[in-house]
Amino acid sequence: MKALLIGEYRQGKLLDTTYELKAFADRLGADSVMLLVGSDADLPKYEGRLYLADAGKYGEYNPDLHKQLVLQAVEKENPDCIVFVHSSYGWDLAPRVAVALKAGQVSEIVALNDGAYEVNACNAKLRRTVTPKGGLAPSGACPLAVLTIQAGAFSPSGEPQGAPQLERLELSGTASAIEFVGYEAAEQKGVDLSKAEIIVSAGRGVGKKDNVPVIAALASALGGELGASRPVVDAGWVDHSHQVGTTGQTVSPKLYVACGISGAIQHLAGMKKADFIVAINKDKDAPIGEIADVLVVADVMQFVPAFTAKCAR
Amino acid sequence: MEATREIYWNVGHGVVLPMYLVTLMAFAACAYGCWKRVEVYRQGKAINRLDNLRERITLMAGNLFGQTRVLRVAGPGIPHALFFWGFVVLFIGTLFVMAQADFSQPLFGIKILTGSFYKGYSLVLDLAGLAALFTLFGLALRRFVARPEGLKITRDDYLMHGLLSAIIVTGFFAEGVRMAATELRQNPDLARFSPVGLFVAGQFAALDLQSLKELHRLWWWCHFLLVTGFIAAIPWTKFRHLMTTPANYLFVDLRPKGSIDTIDLEAEGVEHFGVDKVADLTWKDIFDADACTSCKRCQDRCPAFNTEKPLSPMQVVQQIGETACTAPQADLIETVGRDALWSCTTCRSCQEICPAQVEHVNKVIEMRRNLVLMQGEFPGEEVMVAANNVEVNGNPFGMAYAERGKWADGLPVRHLSDGEEADILYFVGCYASFDKRNQEVAKSFVKICDAAGVSVGILGKEERCCGEPLRKLGNEYLYQMTAQENIELIKGYGVKKIVTTCPHCLNTLGRDYRDLGLDVEVEHYTVFINRLIGEGTLALAPHQFDYTYHDSCYLGRYQGIMEQPRNVLHVAGGRINEMQRSGLESFCCGAGGGRILAEEKLGSRINVQRVKMAEATGAPLIVSNCPFCLTMFEDGIKTGDCEGKLAVRDLAEVVAERLATPLEIGKTGPELTMAAVTALAEVAGRIEPAAPEQERLAAAEGVSA
Amino acid sequence: MKILVCIKQVPDMESRFRPNGDKTWYDESDLAFRMNEYDEYAVEQAVQLKEQLGGEPEITVLSIGPERTVEAIKKALAMGGDRAVHIRDDRYYQKDPWQIASMIASYAKGEGFDLIFTGMQSQDRGSAQVGVIVAELLGIACATTLVGFSYDGGTITAKRELEGGIKGVAKLKLPALVTCQLGLNTPRYPTLPNIMKAKKKEIASLTPAELSGEAELTATAAIYPPAKKGGGLVLEGEIGIQVDRLMGILKEKTAVLR
Repeated sequence: MKALLIGEYRQGKLLDTTYELKAFADRLGADSVMLLVGSDADLPKYEGRLYLADAGKYGEYNPDLHKQLVLQAVEKENPDCIVFVHSSYGWDLAPRVAVALKAGQVSEIVALNDGAYEVNACNAKLRRTVTPKGGLAPSGACPLAVLTIQAGAFSPSGEPQGAPQLERLELSGTASAIEFVGYEAAEQKGVDLSKAEIIVSAGRGVGKKDNVPVIAALASALGGELGASRPVVDAGWVDHSHQVGTTGQTVSPKLYVACGISGAIQHLAGMKKADFIVAINKDKDAPIGEIADVLVVADVMQFVPAFTAKCAR
Repeated sequence: MEATREIYWNVGHGVVLPMYLVTLMAFAACAYGCWKRVEVYRQGKAINRLDNLRERITLMAGNLFGQTRVLRVAGPGIPHALFFWGFVVLFIGTLFVMAQADFSQPLFGIKILTGSFYKGYSLVLDLAGLAALFTLFGLALRRFVARPEGLKITRDDYLMHGLLSAIIVTGFFAEGVRMAATELRQNPDLARFSPVGLFVAGQFAALDLQSLKELHRLWWWCHFLLVTGFIAAIPWTKFRHLMTTPANYLFVDLRPKGSIDTIDLEAEGVEHFGVDKVADLTWKDIFDADACTSCKRCQDRCPAFNTEKPLSPMQVVQQIGETACTAPQADLIETVGRDALWSCTTCRSCQEICPAQVEHVNKVIEMRRNLVLMQGEFPGEEVMVAANNVEVNGNPFGMAYAERGKWADGLPVRHLSDGEEADILYFVGCYASFDKRNQEVAKSFVKICDAAGVSVGILGKEERCCGEPLRKLGNEYLYQMTAQENIELIKGYGVKKIVTTCPHCLNTLGRDYRDLGLDVEVEHYTVFINRLIGEGTLALAPHQFDYTYHDSCYLGRYQGIMEQPRNVLHVAGGRINEMQRSGLESFCCGAGGGRILAEEKLGSRINVQRVKMAEATGAPLIVSNCPFCLTMFEDGIKTGDCEGKLAVRDLAEVVAERLATPLEIGKTGPELTMAAVTALAEVAGRIEPAAPEQERLAAAEGVSA
Repeated sequence: MKILVCIKQVPDMESRFRPNGDKTWYDESDLAFRMNEYDEYAVEQAVQLKEQLGGEPEITVLSIGPERTVEAIKKALAMGGDRAVHIRDDRYYQKDPWQIASMIASYAKGEGFDLIFTGMQSQDRGSAQVGVIVAELLGIACATTLVGFSYDGGTITAKRELEGGIKGVAKLKLPALVTCQLGLNTPRYPTLPNIMKAKKKEIASLTPAELSGEAELTATAAIYPPAKKGGGLVLEGEIGIQVDRLMGILKEKTAVLR
């Protein structure tokens, strides 16, 4: 089985997610070749053939041209599957390639289950196994498939190594229906918790305003944002823009750490969509325990500094 | 010597014609002014406020002659009532003069004002005038010297005080000068029955008769012209409240408190909803502005105004009046302001206290209706999310509707959807269904019913939000959608009696749903439990505790249910420490009017202010009867740093802990037992009821005058 | 200008999901349905564009699904859609994104739409494919994941949301298709007069057979609840041990600590 991996490159840099493609191919037990619209200046550490097209010429984002480049590589390699990261780059490009090849696409694979692809459904409340059908792949072993993998689901086991054997791709023309203009930096207006991946929230259990920085320190150690429950905001300990709950922001981070929050309905309704919830509370019977994946029964002001120290290391 | 006086003494009967002519002109000016006002009112839509006329007249007479609504705030109320009664007496006295001088005497030669009747008449009128003068002076001191915060001084106030004082003073002067020239010498015995006149007469006694006669003519004419001026000025000045306020008593809304017009959503051709122009109001809404005397009693009690929010009920009413007069095409919502409209908790304290029976709340709701139904606006995005949640899942939290009945798992509760029957339908409401804290209330109520042998049925996952917060926020469409589903369900199960643990559900199901076709007995659980106790069906094992009780707006002011919960708590062993503001004067928790769904971004927090009032009683426990209040107080106790000093419990929880035949149902009781609460209080030490609140209220009411 | 907005009715994600009898999709009982969140942004953006252009464009709303789908369609019409097409299909869930997109493309082909709005993905299936496939099948320009949209004289300036809060700006000429992401706009709350008007708007009904007979390219082999992520674990005891255990769990169960 052979996989064509589509690497990612943005703002003059190779993106680390590219290495997850290789990890996925390894898990799949497939041979792989890689395609990257990038530059010689930042090549992936990859042992194998790398089809390289010049991003200076074909753009960092230009799905029309990138599709043609992928199709060229497909023609040369006859892979059984073409693998993208399920990212703003991957989910934009993959279906175009799939349509061109009339291949089935499986989106955002989170796991492999006996070689079958597992994907989430309904906010990860259900899981599906999806099998590609349609035309057979060149190897004849399976149907030709376009796959996108969930970012973070297939982590490389070690440091990536190797130097790629470069093969350059060129297109005859660069006409495209889409014209990339440029990038805009992330806006810095207040706190937008709705898109934060990690939120560490402070509740009344932190005791007093002076303790809030301890919680904020954990948030920054985890690379996340500071959230807060309504009483904490009402008391003026934390600015309102940090409030999580029905009268604040509704959030759906990958990780939510509730520090000293007992779990009033207004708060729960605002954060229960989080993928993983950790609650730190003195009270074992606090309502938040009912929806938390992990409930740490401890004094917030003792546990959080210790945990922050561990994260920082 | 006969005790009487010569009418038209000194001025002569020749004045009758010019006098009546001038009076006629004054009345004409008055009538013209009234007509101009009526034209303003007529910009509003028609509404019948003259049905049940006998009842209306009785109510008006009581409120007017008893001054009952004015007297509810003693400080300015007593002087106003005294002045009113004094003026009424003087008016009646003048009628006697007119009746005798221009009617009975010339036609039939009958003298009314004579003998001991005249003596009494003189005395009463003199004292009435004196009372009016003194109270006027007191009220003037209050308004112009020791002015309580928020009381405005306008041109009309100077005019009213000046004119009224002048009328009384010139009256006394005319009387005094007349007496100096006549009674003082001719009938000193009679003069004693006019003590004020006698006093004035004494001051002029040294003058000769001719001077006295000239002076008398001067005072008489001054007095007369001032009175006619007063009559003419009524519709053009704040004097108009002499007519509009009593009329407002007549035009009172006779429906149950809190009734809101149910919009006919099926009406063909109607494409405009709510109020954003004067023409969208009813004439009564505009009339209210004229009945309002800017006494600011509403403002003093408004929870929004008292927490630095941009709402004053008085100002809203006045703004409507001004707009109707000066710029009828102006956008009322812009004039009043969105923040003001969204700040209202519909707590009804404004309307309850208003001495003129102005209807504030529905004006706010009608403007909110325009914002939501015509412009798709909400006080914040969180409220729009809540509305969408109710639409999809039947609750504002967005919890899966199928989980609604889960709190009752393992409890002796029957599901009507399973074809079971029960003595009562317990309409649980969103908070008791989904909020863990309030689920304790639901469980306690079930426990109580079980102990009393009452079977409880619920609608479970079929129940939807009653729609109350949405309706108060102006979303009549969604309210009716969700209400219809509940009504069909309740009717379908043939329910005979509903009990709620939420006063908002109570008002909605019991009153609002009637317009949509539900006619079932709906009772609040506090009344229900009180009856069970009274009938002997439910026995409590009292255990002494100190508490303060919060009258939720929708149970107290809206439903008038204040005694029953207190009685239940008394039977349970409670010793009440009343808050400064309780009963009809209770202060909102901040969650009414749909505010429970909205962020409180402006001003300080209402729930904290209320919690502080509870703390000031020194009681370690505040007992609530409403899920919104319970939620607000749980938050307020944390935010207001009252943890350890004050705890909040629902009445059902307190009762469930004192059942004489305790039954173990479901999970064991709430984390805070009464023993713990009592212990907490002992540690914290009793706090003396704080004076500031009392002082603030007193100052607001201008008791100092 | 002719605008097409493709919407889907999906279950509210708060619901408890169970697999259906033959384990190919979720059981619909006890679920509350609503318009796919991303599609609400699509409808809103279409209506905003119509307003920008003085009401000239005609907005067609299209949805595939069973009878209940009409509720979502009515909402889109109340928000400002002009007419609707309902492709009635009780077995819609058995069709893969390719088949769904083929049906839409086969309807759209003859209609000459200048601009098509779709959600970035559906909340239940989450494949993020349908919009792009429709564009490819129609041979029109396409940009995905829009958090910014502006239109001027036949050219769209699309602001795409990239990872880490960065945005990529691209221009595309009509005809085009864009897929809409959270943050693009705030969907309006329909006004009552518009809800009333929506009840009278035309909803044309089509059957899948009239559109496309494409075979599926992927199939759901099974659907099942995910393995418990270690739910409701309670850590008690000494702080140091708690810290270590939590660290271990986070590394194992979440993708955020690596």
